[in-house]
Amino acid sequence: MRLKTAFVFIILWLAILPLFSQYKYSDFSTLTRRINVLKDKYPRLCTVKSLVKTAGGREIWVLTAGTGNMDEKPGIVICGGIEGNHLLGQEIAMGFAEKLLENSSSQEIRNLLEKVTFYVFPNLSPDAAQQYFSDIRYERVANARPCDDDRDFLIDEDPFEDLNNDGLITLMRIYDPAGTHIENVRDNRLMVPADLSRGEKGKYLVYSEGIDNDDDGLFNEDGEGGVNFNNNLTWKYEHFGKNAGLHPVSEPETKAVLDFLFDRFNVFAVFAFGPQDNLGQPMKSPEPKSAGGEKGQDGDEGRWFMPRPVSLKSVLKSDELINIMVSDKYHEITGAKGAPVAAAAPGNFMEWAYYHYGRYSFSTPGWWFPIEKSETREEAFLKFAEKTGMNDVFVPWSEISHPGFPGKKVEVGGIKPFVMINPPADTLGDLIEAHYRFLVAASLMHPELEFLDIKTENAGDNIFRLTVKVHNKGLFATCAEVGDESIWTRIMRIVITPARNQTIISGLKTQRIKRLQGNETAEFTWLISGKGSTGISAGAANTGFISTSIDLK
Amino acid sequence: MTRRIAIPILFLAISLSFQARAQNAELFFKAAGSPSNPKVSTSWNKYFTYEGIMDFCRKLAKEHPDLVTLETAGKSYKGRDIIAIVISEKKGQSPDKKPGFYIDGNIHSNEIQGSDMALYTAWYLCEMYKTNSFINQLLKDKVFYILPTINPDARQYFMDEPNSTHSPRSGLVPFDNDRDGLYDEDGYDDLNNDGVISMMRRKNPDGKYITDPKDPRRMIMVKPGEKGEYELLGLEGIDNDNDGLINEDGIGGYDPNRDFGFNWEPNIVQWGAGKYPFSFPENQAVRDFSLKHRNIAGAQSFHNAGGMILRGPSAKDTGTEVFTRADEMVINTIGKKGEKIIPGYSLLTIWKDLYPVYGGELDWWYGAIGSYIFSNELWTQRLMFNDTSNVDEYEFERLLLFEDAFIPWKEADHPVYGKIEIGGFDKNFGRIHPGFLLESDAHRNAAFCIYNAWTMPKLEISSINVRDLPGGLKEVTATIANTQLMPTHSGTNLKYKIDPPDYVYLDGGKVIAGMIVTDIDRNITVEQKKNPQRIEVSNIEGYGRVHVRWIVKGGSRYGVRVESVKGGHVSRQAG
Repeated sequence: MRLKTAFVFIILWLAILPLFSQYKYSDFSTLTRRINVLKDKYPRLCTVKSLVKTAGGREIWVLTAGTGNMDEKPGIVICGGIEGNHLLGQEIAMGFAEKLLENSSSQEIRNLLEKVTFYVFPNLSPDAAQQYFSDIRYERVANARPCDDDRDFLIDEDPFEDLNNDGLITLMRIYDPAGTHIENVRDNRLMVPADLSRGEKGKYLVYSEGIDNDDDGLFNEDGEGGVNFNNNLTWKYEHFGKNAGLHPVSEPETKAVLDFLFDRFNVFAVFAFGPQDNLGQPMKSPEPKSAGGEKGQDGDEGRWFMPRPVSLKSVLKSDELINIMVSDKYHEITGAKGAPVAAAAPGNFMEWAYYHYGRYSFSTPGWWFPIEKSETREEAFLKFAEKTGMNDVFVPWSEISHPGFPGKKVEVGGIKPFVMINPPADTLGDLIEAHYRFLVAASLMHPELEFLDIKTENAGDNIFRLTVKVHNKGLFATCAEVGDESIWTRIMRIVITPARNQTIISGLKTQRIKRLQGNETAEFTWLISGKGSTGISAGAANTGFISTSIDLK
Repeated sequence: MTRRIAIPILFLAISLSFQARAQNAELFFKAAGSPSNPKVSTSWNKYFTYEGIMDFCRKLAKEHPDLVTLETAGKSYKGRDIIAIVISEKKGQSPDKKPGFYIDGNIHSNEIQGSDMALYTAWYLCEMYKTNSFINQLLKDKVFYILPTINPDARQYFMDEPNSTHSPRSGLVPFDNDRDGLYDEDGYDDLNNDGVISMMRRKNPDGKYITDPKDPRRMIMVKPGEKGEYELLGLEGIDNDNDGLINEDGIGGYDPNRDFGFNWEPNIVQWGAGKYPFSFPENQAVRDFSLKHRNIAGAQSFHNAGGMILRGPSAKDTGTEVFTRADEMVINTIGKKGEKIIPGYSLLTIWKDLYPVYGGELDWWYGAIGSYIFSNELWTQRLMFNDTSNVDEYEFERLLLFEDAFIPWKEADHPVYGKIEIGGFDKNFGRIHPGFLLESDAHRNAAFCIYNAWTMPKLEISSINVRDLPGGLKEVTATIANTQLMPTHSGTNLKYKIDPPDYVYLDGGKVIAGMIVTDIDRNITVEQKKNPQRIEVSNIEGYGRVHVRWIVKGGSRYGVRVESVKGGHVSRQAG
């Protein structure tokens, strides 16, 4: 009987296995199933929790992987779905969690899970991501909160329409003697703005495929939703910006994720798979370089007693060094060449995690194609697609009749949505594997404390001089420099506990330990009267705690 | 049995309520500008506790049902209601269709008199409504939203628990100020158990202080070369968590007024900020209230101290908000009038004259909501002797308060410092008004709010002209005037389209076309092609007027309606 059940399970398992080995982009219910499979399969190594439901009723899942007291070991956050149109980010984050746990029987991963805790958020934009799987596919970044995107006091009044019934939103071009666009001479499938300075006159008007429902001259400018998670954070937040929300951290999912992260003082690094990049091209500290980087002064004319606010303008020097180290590792392991086009976004997550959360923060789209200086992004993509055998990325222009342009020739066509930022599903396996190996390698650089050079000297008459060094044997500093003064990181402390018959003659019982760079030490000395076993403990949540006891005799 | 008891109790209740209601008018002679026989009697020389505030609000609502509605804006961290008193004449236009004026107090916990000044304003409006024609008209035209305390937990904490006049500024959400993983574990300690946190001093031949020969209660610094007698050891406290520091992680430990979602900066940049804007429930309540009552055109926040009327911007060149020339004119006109109404108070710009503030409440109201707002720093030592040169608190406290607010220096034991002495001013002196000056300053600040509210837009449809056109069509031209200082839209409001434009509707007849007449003399018009029955006017400036015109088919009686979010709703029939 029991054998039989086991056999059925094995058969079932074999049936499921190919599903996981052949990756494809997961819709929300598949993602939910995948993350809960891990919870059931590795109950001793991970927990799965829903932090909140979005306006669209979808959970924000977080998987915590590790052992023991997980919130008091160096923590790493791994996020996908930074923007809803970037499905690859979800696959890398979810794929990482699956591989990590699958490999948890190996010595390397077992050791890693003893030392480090992983917090994996596979999708921070589940409402928007679902558009990839819907009947009308377009690159949506907004959650399901009804919003007046174009500030005309109407809500979600101008959505997308699939005029050629192919399930995709592409472009439409209207032949018009007063047009703004012409065909790109190097690839006549593409539209480019006419350049008057070169004597070009436009032939086409070009708009997003749809109808101007609210008759304001704009197409699809106020579709379903919403707020983009990646515009809703506090760093350089754009008030009244598109998809920015009513104020920074206005959305339940943004708030829930931040509450979770701020409560995890042990997190030392955040890895986001989304449009921002500092793994292809590290963030730059400005020249000339000085210790402490550049701190800009704002509003320095204030003349009262309060300290003047100082806001950070760029990455700090010692953090830049770590960024370079991690970026090199990224190139080395993934084999990625060059860097994607830098994507600036007000209120974005990656820069928030660095400047406002005060942690090491890394981000990459995970996949990109090379762009020559002389070419447009679309041109470069079509060239790349042809070279790498990506078929089916372009909808040929075909005529439709459009109620908004009676008597005019209107065609629908263009590059398919999603294909420029999400690679074909058959490449997912390799990409996930490469990013998994990179994340494991980066995790192994975590900060870790040890006591070094414990020295005891008998100064005579039962007075002992006790000296220890606290050593960070990791490569990451115990805390990013940017977070060193933040109230949302902890200060390491060293505490000495004398035996009952011992007293401290010199040196404080509790002392702060300064931030330690990789491979840096801090030395502490006490004078203690009396023989016995003296306890010392050191650390903070972000490094973990170490302790020892020393016999003074 | 029950009956026998019930009857006398009923009598007692009736006579008590009678006493509370009418104060025997024949006993009093009216003082100019004050209610001589108020329905809710009180005196303004003491401070309301949280329960006192709630009780007062309920009485106001009960005695003035034609004016007052109580609303709950939200709940505090400890679950107390954040109450809002809504005051307007209810029988005419619905209050939410009138321009609204918002007042709050006590965002900083120890700055308690803001609540009492807000309550005074509420009381004054209600009690003067029947007898004073200016107030009567004001409550016909406008609505007041008064939130006496937007920080009830820490108000009560200030009163009930040992504190100094400076503590706490923060609310009560736990904060780990010394970043050791423990929350609020090393605050002040009331070593002499008198309910006040005062100063610690110790006799020390190397000290830098002596007692002042003019008033030995006061500690003064010795001049270089002179010998001292005492050292000062800061505010009462011990090292509760044994980390070598004293009082480094007290209750809360943040600034509620650095928590608003406009021009917000994190704790590294702006001391006192939380995790993100609206981290604290009390401020979430203010946000929600501001979003619910979009008709609020003017606002006032009460703080202490220093005698200041503060205006934005709060930080230099950082905000999205725009201060147009029209806005500058409005803000400075009101602020300058305030300097006159409240002698001793000066109109100051926050970033320039005080210090930069990120995530302050002013920025939210002005930047995100599009309302004009001031913040008054209540109480200034200049009020003690009506003198800017003599601001001697010790002399004032001796001559006018008869040493009621000083805790005499007394010996105590300190676990670290040994024999010390504890003494100094009580927590009710230094930043909050002494009783006898409270009513007068409350009245002046209320008068400032009332003036401010009076300047909010007042829209009138000053004329509707109907003219026959060929083919049986009519041309209807309406003129809408704003007879007050404030425009219907501030600069930020206009630029970022916070509120819809002012809508002007024509009722009666079929509208063929609609337009704004930009020059009535030269007959220059701009047609509105979409939905001409509802003409969109982007703004009606202070003391300005707009003309709108419709071409109408049919109908005989034409009505014009104006709907302005912050300017109010008005309507008029032609002819």
